Amino acid sequence: MGAVQLLGVQKFFGTMEVIKGIDLRVDDGELVVFVGPSGCGKSTLLRMIAGLEDVDGGEVLISGVEVSGLAPAKRGVAMVFQNYALYPHMSAYDNLAYGLRRSGMARADVDSRVRETAALLQITDLLPRRPKAMSGGQRQRVAIGRAIVRKPEVFLFDEPLSNLDAALRVEMRSQIARLHQELKATMIFVTHDQVEAMTLADRIVVLNSGRVEQVGTPREVYHNPANLFVASFIGSPAMNLLPITRGEDGSILLESGEQMIWPGGKIDGPPGRALTLGLRPDRLSLVGSDQGQISGTVHLAEHLGDETILHVQTAAGRALTLKCDGDAPARLGDLVQIGLDLTGACLFDPDGRRVQ
Amino acid sequence: MKKTSRIAPARVAQTLVYHAVMLAISAVFLLPFYWMAISAFKNNAEIFANPVLWFPDPIRLENLTALLTRDDFPFLRQFANSVFYALSVACAVCFSCSLAAYSFGCLRWRGRNLVFGLTVCALLLPGIVTFLPVYLGWTKLGLNGTYWPLIAPFFFGDAFFIFMLRQFFLGVPRELMDAARLDGASEFRIWWQIVLPQVRTPLIIVGLFAIVYTWNEFFGPLIYLQDRDEFPLSLGLFTFQAARAREWSISMTGALLTALPMVVLFLVTQRLFRQGLASSTLK
Ligand SMILES: Nc1ncnc2c1ncn2[C@@H]1O[C@H](COP(=O)(O)OP(=O)(O)OP(=O)(O)O)[C@@H](O)[C@H]1O
Ligand SMILES: [Mg+2]
Repeated sequence: MGAVQLLGVQKFFGTMEVIKGIDLRVDDGELVVFVGPSGCGKSTLLRMIAGLEDVDGGEVLISGVEVSGLAPAKRGVAMVFQNYALYPHMSAYDNLAYGLRRSGMARADVDSRVRETAALLQITDLLPRRPKAMSGGQRQRVAIGRAIVRKPEVFLFDEPLSNLDAALRVEMRSQIARLHQELKATMIFVTHDQVEAMTLADRIVVLNSGRVEQVGTPREVYHNPANLFVASFIGSPAMNLLPITRGEDGSILLESGEQMIWPGGKIDGPPGRALTLGLRPDRLSLVGSDQGQISGTVHLAEHLGDETILHVQTAAGRALTLKCDGDAPARLGDLVQIGLDLTGACLFDPDGRRVQ
Repeated sequence: MKKTSRIAPARVAQTLVYHAVMLAISAVFLLPFYWMAISAFKNNAEIFANPVLWFPDPIRLENLTALLTRDDFPFLRQFANSVFYALSVACAVCFSCSLAAYSFGCLRWRGRNLVFGLTVCALLLPGIVTFLPVYLGWTKLGLNGTYWPLIAPFFFGDAFFIFMLRQFFLGVPRELMDAARLDGASEFRIWWQIVLPQVRTPLIIVGLFAIVYTWNEFFGPLIYLQDRDEFPLSLGLFTFQAARAREWSISMTGALLTALPMVVLFLVTQRLFRQGLASSTLK
């Protein structure tokens, strides 16, 4: 029940292949988040699952049934759109009731279902109002109400929170998490927001130009990125990427000429092998002079209160990001020494594959 | 010192000149209408009186009763014909053109752009080119002399109105239709219950255009209708004038009563015209 399976799914717009053969299984009751850069095909994939877009190759299975012949309304899916897409000329009540009426439900049943859903989302007061007379957050709640009122097995959310202000986003995020607990339905959630993805997801699917780059729990994709793309996409501020070469003895040779020992022992491959070292910003720290491996000039310091994000330009012209304490003394234009902590560091080959 | 108006005298003069010029120009355009209106309340002698009578004296309302009771000019009958004709065409246009525009603007299908291109090409084709074969066709069907040839074609769309409405249908968010699809509405129902309410104002305006166009339509009725009792006013008025060239006052009364409904319609709906087409479809 409620599991969604994609088998080699493809989509073409004209001659452009937008979805390039995606295999994915979303288990029943799971909350999976799709992330990826703009235009990578997240919405398209969601719309294909919903049946709003034809599948040009491969198969989509919902609850084990191949759905290509099924109309959107018959698939047991509901979708929440980024712009809410509430029917502007109908009251919230009618917005919720519209789908139930289409399914031929008796009037009294429609009424009780709508009121039950409204109570769940605390929108009973809004029922007589039209969308125009609601705030963004209220519209969002009604849009979610319209999705859950039909008791679908699969929920599809296409960036539902991106039009809300920060505080409301946090509130709606927890509300969605709560709904997921209560309804125990399968949910697929598209977002641009790192925090949303990390906090909501059972598993994250990282997409890039129509392909799956990695599927994993939030911890996995953060700490064990499968490739350079995932490493640089997940995490905010983004991972620092430094070009290095393998030294004679399997050590790391930085651009500055400094040598470091790889925590696991040696790095593989022949001496002189060019690699990219990935380090999260919290693995970089300010150190006293002559202790650091890299030096650079601060050219932006973001003081966030409990922490400070420093953007540093190295002598070799690389941009680095450091996450340090809120009371870090560095100021704009300072020359700083940076120490690298290689625990949890990643190494990528020139093709972007993770090697170590 | 006494505080004077803050508008500079030069500005006042400029405004005065501007308004004087505009009034003079409007007067040129309004004069024929005014002449028609006052002639409707004069007798023939007064219409041609020298010096010109700028205001009818006495106001002869008997023209009105004469017009309505004459048996060689079934005015009320023809008025009803015109109303029927105009409303039928308006309904047909709103129905067919909004369906076509929905398809062109909101649905995706193979060859859509080609078919739309051909439809727009039909705009460039003068009606007179296809007139003869169409006329022969209707005659073959035995429907010459009825309103069928005048109304039925509009149930199959009109290139200009399709073109105009499509722009507004394009403005309806795709997600609205997607949401309705997920709610289980058929395409026809989506058109009727979801999309049409979003383009209500443009649709009403298209209907009004159709009414005004049909009300003044002359050529079609002239070709297809033979019986005076079947004529719409545009044609009826013309044949009356042709037959009774010297009864100017009755003609003018008829003309006034023919023009009046359109003037009233415009005054009642002008707010729609000013706002509707300018503002976006979703408001
Ligand atoms: N109807 C369409 N016709 C042609 N190309 C389309 C159509 N819809 C989407 N595309 C293309 O498909 C690609 C994927 O689009 P999609 O909307 O799925 O991206 P997305 O990942 O949702 O991006 P965003 O994060 O900006 O919403 C884009 O390159 C887009 O230009
Ligand atoms: Mg999208």
